[in-house]
Amino acid sequence: MTGFFSVFTVELLNSGIRLATPVILAALGGALCNKAGVLNLALESMMLMGAFVGIVSAYFVGNSYIGLLIAMASGGLLGLVFAFLYHKYDVDLVILAIAFNLIIQELTVYVMRVMFGNVGSWSDPSINRIPDIEIPLIKDIPVLGNILSGYNIIVYFSWAVTIVMYLVLYKMKFGRHIRAVGENREAAETVGINAVRIQTMALIISGVLSALGGAFLSIGHLKLFTRNMSNGRGWTAVAAALFGANHPIGTALASLFFGLTEAFAVRIQNVTDLPPNLVELLPNFATLIVLIFIALREKLRENNARRRFRAELRAEEQQKAAS
Amino acid sequence: MALALEMKGITKYFSSTDVQANDNVNLTVEAGEVLALVGENGAGKTTLMNILYGLIKPDSGEIFINGEKVQIGHPDDAIKNGIGMVHQHFKLVPSFTVAQNIILGMEPNKAGFLSPKEENKVVKELADKFNLPVDPKAQIRDLPVGMQQRVEILKVLLREAKILILDEPTAVLTPQEVKELMDVVRQLAKMGYSVIFITHKLIEVMEVADKVSVMRAGKNVGNKKVSDTNIPDLARMMVGREVLLRVKKDTIQRGKPVFEAKDVSVSDVHGLAAISHVSFNVHEGEIVGLAGVSGNGQTELVEVISGMRPLDGGNLYLNEQDITQANVRDRRNAGVAHIPEDRMEVGLNLQTNLDENLIISRYNQSEFSKFGFLLGKSISRFAETVVKSFSIAAAKPGEDISMLSGGNLQKVVVGRELSGQPSFIIANQPTRGLDVGSIEFVHKTLIEERDRGAGVLLVSVELEEIMALADRILVLFRGQIQGELDAKTATEEEVGILMAGGKLSDLQTNQAKSGKESK
Repeated sequence: MTGFFSVFTVELLNSGIRLATPVILAALGGALCNKAGVLNLALESMMLMGAFVGIVSAYFVGNSYIGLLIAMASGGLLGLVFAFLYHKYDVDLVILAIAFNLIIQELTVYVMRVMFGNVGSWSDPSINRIPDIEIPLIKDIPVLGNILSGYNIIVYFSWAVTIVMYLVLYKMKFGRHIRAVGENREAAETVGINAVRIQTMALIISGVLSALGGAFLSIGHLKLFTRNMSNGRGWTAVAAALFGANHPIGTALASLFFGLTEAFAVRIQNVTDLPPNLVELLPNFATLIVLIFIALREKLRENNARRRFRAELRAEEQQKAAS
Repeated sequence: MALALEMKGITKYFSSTDVQANDNVNLTVEAGEVLALVGENGAGKTTLMNILYGLIKPDSGEIFINGEKVQIGHPDDAIKNGIGMVHQHFKLVPSFTVAQNIILGMEPNKAGFLSPKEENKVVKELADKFNLPVDPKAQIRDLPVGMQQRVEILKVLLREAKILILDEPTAVLTPQEVKELMDVVRQLAKMGYSVIFITHKLIEVMEVADKVSVMRAGKNVGNKKVSDTNIPDLARMMVGREVLLRVKKDTIQRGKPVFEAKDVSVSDVHGLAAISHVSFNVHEGEIVGLAGVSGNGQTELVEVISGMRPLDGGNLYLNEQDITQANVRDRRNAGVAHIPEDRMEVGLNLQTNLDENLIISRYNQSEFSKFGFLLGKSISRFAETVVKSFSIAAAKPGEDISMLSGGNLQKVVVGRELSGQPSFIIANQPTRGLDVGSIEFVHKTLIEERDRGAGVLLVSVELEEIMALADRILVLFRGQIQGELDAKTATEEEVGILMAGGKLSDLQTNQAKSGKESK
């Protein structure tokens, strides 16, 4: 058993935080869209776009940081197109998202083959991975220093975005307008708030964040692009936003939970005899459980309330009968 | 003195539905004046006000504010010109506080950061100025409807409106809240504001307005001083014929009990009692009126009786059969009819045609289907008879119903529910949002059913409706029967005090007191 418990180490937390980063970024974008009342199920495509554009532009420009910026711009553009089609042509949000996810998945593979002639994946030795940065002072704190320091800039940025989004949504005028549009669009519009503009901005921001999450996969974590590299993380992000009740802090913690599950699944393969295919399913299984929980949360609460009420009624009757 | 508002020759034609919504309408309001705008549903009141508020562009016509011609192409223009609108369906954000809602869109801020303290102060000052007390920190979703409406009025006043449009403001209010609103409206008029009060309750016109404009079929059929007119006169102008404002009702001998509820208790979603220990019965040939301010358990009680919601304690009997555990279909087959409060969502399926809506409760009877296939011919024959016997003039068998007016939709529901000669009828807010003509029809029909021998449970928040139709009145307050009254002798005052949670003895002591004072 010592072998099994040996996976619970600081390294597990480190890799959990790393694996959570793309999910945090996309999930924050999704939560922002939900708050603005515009369902964004195209996070997956925005992430995949960022992964591909990030590594390709890092290769051509020769600077991975600029690769990140170009990736973010591409995601923002995708969000803008999404908003345009939704507002201008009134396309159903779900259909729009399905179209985006399918198109980007095929488009990235197509462009990769046209440009590099390769089939499954592509990399180039000239590409630099985004370097990890130790934070002075914090890195010297015992234990905590190892948990909080030693990541690349995207990881720190995801933490900053969490806090900034919280401040914007709950302390600033712009954020209050976002929430007003999401909760009662007509109420916002009758006082002169431009709901279309706000929803468009939410979609652009979610595109920027998701694409950065995608670029983290291709040039932050590894330095390679494979077909369908996002591999469902955009969908995990949708679940994380729901799980976190669309609150930035809650959403980030929910994403961290999924990241840790993934890291755990990777590590546990070394210490058990379970078939690796089964262990790899663990994160998906965790997502499924969480989704079922989200779906039943309200129902369970109501059932419990009803059970309590019936018990009270019965107690009342018994009391009456006794006296 | 220049008029605060003058609308001249307003004309609007909707080509998509081929409706002349406004036909050369003229309307004037002075400062400090309350104008009641009355008319049946579809008479063009809402279109006219939407034109004034910049939501719809008129085909022709002019608008003058304080004698100056203005162009209003957008609600922003209306607000700039001092026009404010309180919509029938409130435009509030439920999770926001009172202050956050009132100040939405014009928040004081430093570099984008909000200051809740400053917001609460501004709202507090505004509320004091107009003597409309509110708690700035209360969340909208926790407030009663009357308070939410007050927030809407303050919202408009903060934007410095001088002309207030109130769109059917009393439709959702309790009698007490209506009284308070009337006081607010009078007070605003005294302060020099102009109020346009849209309604189809004529009693309110007489109470609150200085002037009244009547609309019918898009035309302005009368502008009168309230002191020069009366309710029957206004009703005739609105409908274009004589209307029975109070349906004729003979006293008849009631029969044996047809429905009985015994010690019924139901919980709400939070596990609190929505209905607790309610017992009552309904006899054949009797209309029992269930009065009460909305939200006191009416919805839950009706859902339990109709079988849409399980009950947590007690029993239900129909013709002495226990139906506590029976499902909706079994109850319907046993003779229960249900006119639900929401005809758009629960009562009808607007996506499909008249025929399917009429047989939805009986499609599996051998008359209408064989081996799982619907029998189109006998269904449309049935639809024709229902259309004829309930005179649903606008509806045609086989055609969509989504374009029908509220009154005609309700006729479809009533036609379906009552065509099977039910022994027990639940009518939940059967005339909500209907115009005078349709109300007359529904009331007449319910009384005919009673005379036929059916037991009717009439649930209504309209005190007048209960007084006009019921033989016996039950008052529901916080999920309990607060009192029972014989309709022959009951006064509106008595029902009112029970609706507010008081006791009849309170009324007597009050009267004794005021009697002494008058001496």
